[in-house]
Amino acid sequence: MADSSGPISAKRCDSLNASSVSMDTITSLTELEDLERVYQQLCTEEKAVEVELDKLVGQQGVINTKMMTLQRMGPNLQLIEGDASQLSGMITFTCSLAENVSRKVRQLDLAKTRLYKVIQRADDILDLKFCMDGVQTALHNEDYEQAAAHIHRYLSLDQSVIELSRQGEEGSSVDASLVMLQEAEQKLKVIVAERLDAAVAAVDLVQVERFFKIFPLLGLHQQGLARFGQYLCSQLASKTEENLLLATGGDISEKRAPLVFAETLTLLLEGIARVVESHQPIVETYYGPGHLYTLIIHLQQECDRQAQKIVDKFIQQRDYHSKFQVIQNSMMKSQMPTERIEPRELDPVLMEVTLMNARAELYLRFLRRRMMADFEVGDTQSPTQEHQQNVEKLLKHCLLSTTMQELIGYYIPMEEYYMRESVNKAVQMDTYEKGQLTSSMVDDCFYIVKKCISRALSSSNIDCLCAMINHSTSALESDFREVLYNKLRQGFPATTLQDIQRGVSSAVSLMQSSLQQGKFNALGIESAENAKAAFLVTLNNAEVCSENITTLKRNLENDCSKLFMQGPASGDHAKIDSCLSDLVNTSSKFKDLLQEGLTELNTTAIKPQVKPWITAFLSISHNIEEEEFNEYEANDPWVQQLIVNLEQVMAEFRTGLSPVSYDTLTSLMTSLVAIEMEKTVLKCTFSRLGGLQFDKELRSLVAYLTTVTTWTIRDKFARLTQMATVLNLERVTEILDYWGPNSGPLTWRLTPAEVRQVLALRIDFRSEDIKRLRL
Amino acid sequence: MSMEDYDYLFKIVLIGNAGVGKTCLVRRFTQGLFPPGQGATIGVDFMIKTVEIKGQKVKLQIWDTAGQERFRSITQSYYRSANALILTYDITCEDSFRCLPEWLKEIEQYANSQVVTILVGNKIDLAEKREVLRHRAQDFAESQSMVYLETSAKESDNVEKLFLSLAGELIREAKQNKLDNSDAAPTLGEGKSISYLGCCSIN
Ligand SMILES: Nc1nc2c(ncn2[C@@H]2O[C@H](COP(=O)(O)OP(=O)(O)OP(=O)(O)O)[C@@H](O)[C@H]2O)c(=O)[nH]1
Ligand SMILES: [Mg+2]
Repeated sequence: MADSSGPISAKRCDSLNASSVSMDTITSLTELEDLERVYQQLCTEEKAVEVELDKLVGQQGVINTKMMTLQRMGPNLQLIEGDASQLSGMITFTCSLAENVSRKVRQLDLAKTRLYKVIQRADDILDLKFCMDGVQTALHNEDYEQAAAHIHRYLSLDQSVIELSRQGEEGSSVDASLVMLQEAEQKLKVIVAERLDAAVAAVDLVQVERFFKIFPLLGLHQQGLARFGQYLCSQLASKTEENLLLATGGDISEKRAPLVFAETLTLLLEGIARVVESHQPIVETYYGPGHLYTLIIHLQQECDRQAQKIVDKFIQQRDYHSKFQVIQNSMMKSQMPTERIEPRELDPVLMEVTLMNARAELYLRFLRRRMMADFEVGDTQSPTQEHQQNVEKLLKHCLLSTTMQELIGYYIPMEEYYMRESVNKAVQMDTYEKGQLTSSMVDDCFYIVKKCISRALSSSNIDCLCAMINHSTSALESDFREVLYNKLRQGFPATTLQDIQRGVSSAVSLMQSSLQQGKFNALGIESAENAKAAFLVTLNNAEVCSENITTLKRNLENDCSKLFMQGPASGDHAKIDSCLSDLVNTSSKFKDLLQEGLTELNTTAIKPQVKPWITAFLSISHNIEEEEFNEYEANDPWVQQLIVNLEQVMAEFRTGLSPVSYDTLTSLMTSLVAIEMEKTVLKCTFSRLGGLQFDKELRSLVAYLTTVTTWTIRDKFARLTQMATVLNLERVTEILDYWGPNSGPLTWRLTPAEVRQVLALRIDFRSEDIKRLRL
Repeated sequence: MSMEDYDYLFKIVLIGNAGVGKTCLVRRFTQGLFPPGQGATIGVDFMIKTVEIKGQKVKLQIWDTAGQERFRSITQSYYRSANALILTYDITCEDSFRCLPEWLKEIEQYANSQVVTILVGNKIDLAEKREVLRHRAQDFAESQSMVYLETSAKESDNVEKLFLSLAGELIREAKQNKLDNSDAAPTLGEGKSISYLGCCSIN
């Protein structure tokens, strides 16, 4: 056993490298024990090998079946291989076929285009021949449109076609025809030009338009437009001359006379606009888009010439320049004016200038729109930058524009003069009717300012408008405000004898100085009354001015947005806005003036009267007992009289001032009363009942004042009310019930030191107690 | 007043002969460019630029006026409310320099007395064409107690400096004014003029 298994096991050892025992090991074994162990090991191994063998043998069946299937597949594979090679052959064939076809298609295509070209050329050559024949006949028949159409056809032919036709067998005959054709072209150009000139001379619009249409066919766009333009210009010129003659002939109705030059200019500009409108379609149809600009250049030259003539006549007949000169001289502050112009005299000429400018602006806007639209058709989308620049240059720098700019340049100082003079006049003629709050000059002044700005606005020139807004701002802020300021400086005259004796009021001292200067020689009661009324009216005037300026600005804003709805550049809006905001800022300057005037009124007219009434408090003892307290109760010693007096002193202002100003003045008066009361109370001494009396008096006063003003009184009297509270205490220490943590909703306006000061006014409070207080 | 975000607002007006480069200076400062083919200004152009000086926002309203004679009356209406005037001439054009006294007369007549005026000689990039020597202009400016500055809108020389130093000067004046006014608030009785043309300081 050992022998037979030896080689196997040895072999297994070699091939599988199993852990079985090698022959060498076996042979070297000597001990039985070892042998048995090895034997045992070999036996196990044998068993494992047998199991493995059995497994392999078991698989034989499956493998056999698989082999069988494979063998059966053999013939199929051969079939597939055959099919595949056949397919490949077919694909190669198709591919080359396709290549063949496409090459042929390409060839066909080439042939076709060549054929087309041949046909085209044949056509062209036929056309050429046709043109050669046709042009002669047409010329002969004076059918210039036809002839021009032939020439146009000839001109649009490819030059190579003509070359080609000359190379043909009948080259010499073609050459001859070509020469004829060229001659015909030259001849036609001459004829058309001559005929157009003749038609222009004969003012035969039908013929003019007829030949005008022929020019572009001959490639003579510029010439055609120039000659046509010339025709239109001569029309415009003669018409305008006629109109101007009529205008200056003096044979015009009174109604039209003042604006006759503006009207003549309008006729010219409307005439051109009509020409542009009616001829734009022909130009576009026969000359193509973009040519309207060229025509307008020609028209604008005539427009400039004619407008200049009209403006020259205007300047001459209206004495425009000399009027300006006179005004310029009289506005120079240094010079004493020798000659003056009534502002009213300027009305028509100012109106006429603004109207002229407005018409020119309208006309230029119209041209811009038309030219842009025409370029738009040509440029497919939006006009190019270059086109836009050309248009702007033409419109901004044409003589019409600069002439108008010059007119406006003179207009502005004249309008400014008109405004200042009229405002001065309104001030001089200022009247005030009893019962009215304001005087006539405010309404008059704003009427004038509004009129001047509106007139500037009606020129449609934004710079002109802005300049007049600036001048208005200056006239209101300096001139007009100065007038009110000077009136207020004269002060509010006091009439009561005591006041004059005291001489406390600056108004009075001012008056006295005026008296010394002899200004008010016959100053009696009546003129003092007048001076008073004048002061109050001036305050009302200042208030109304402030409101009017705000209204003026708002209205102007509306007017501007309406007028410039078509949308000027945003920069223009910013300009107007800025000038308007300067204007509206003057509103607050009038408000300041009003405020200062009211303060002045309070200190010079109210304070001197109110002060003694309040000081009278001192002469009423508040160191009182039950008996006096009751007597006071029955016979009020002070506060009722004060109220009556206050009522009286204010009555004059209630009727004389506007409600708003009166209210402001009342507020100033109440502050004054509060301050004076406080000073007075601190000079007084109080008993317990005296404190109670004061509390009662203060309540009455506050109750009264609350009814006379819309301003809050409580706040102004807070300190006094707290003083009354302190004066009303039972004991010194009672203050602690209201102080610090116990103050509740009350905010103390009195400092601890002031509280002590007030406590000390009570004769029955001991100073040690007050000192001892911890506040 | 407005709620806009700035501490000061100043109006600056540029004046001087036609073609000296006013528009170019303004465009250089406000847009940072030198416009080619700059046409003559018609009327007045208006631009705004806000700058910051020592942490304070200063809004500059710049009015670029037309130098051509026929726009003079439009231009004049802007003098009165101007806080500063930039009087410009062209160093390559003697004529524009010789017109300066005339411009000063205009200023005298129309501007408010507190206006700050600065003299500017423009186009120094064209040194070879210079017709007005620097010291001549300097002397003239001194005689009129004006600051003098030479610029080139084309090369952007001193343009920024021109506007910024002007703004700085205006702020100084505004502060001074405020001090003066708070000292003595003018009242009617004292006969002191209330109409002071202060700056437009907001705060
Ligand atoms: N070389 C040079 N040319 C300049 C300079 N500034 C302006 N120019 C040129 O001078 C010409 C006039 O400039 P503008 O800025 O239009 O002059 P303006 O003072 O605004 O003229 P008006 O508007 O008519 O008053 C233009 O051709 C500019 O290109 C500069 O600093 N250097
Ligand atoms: Mg300019």
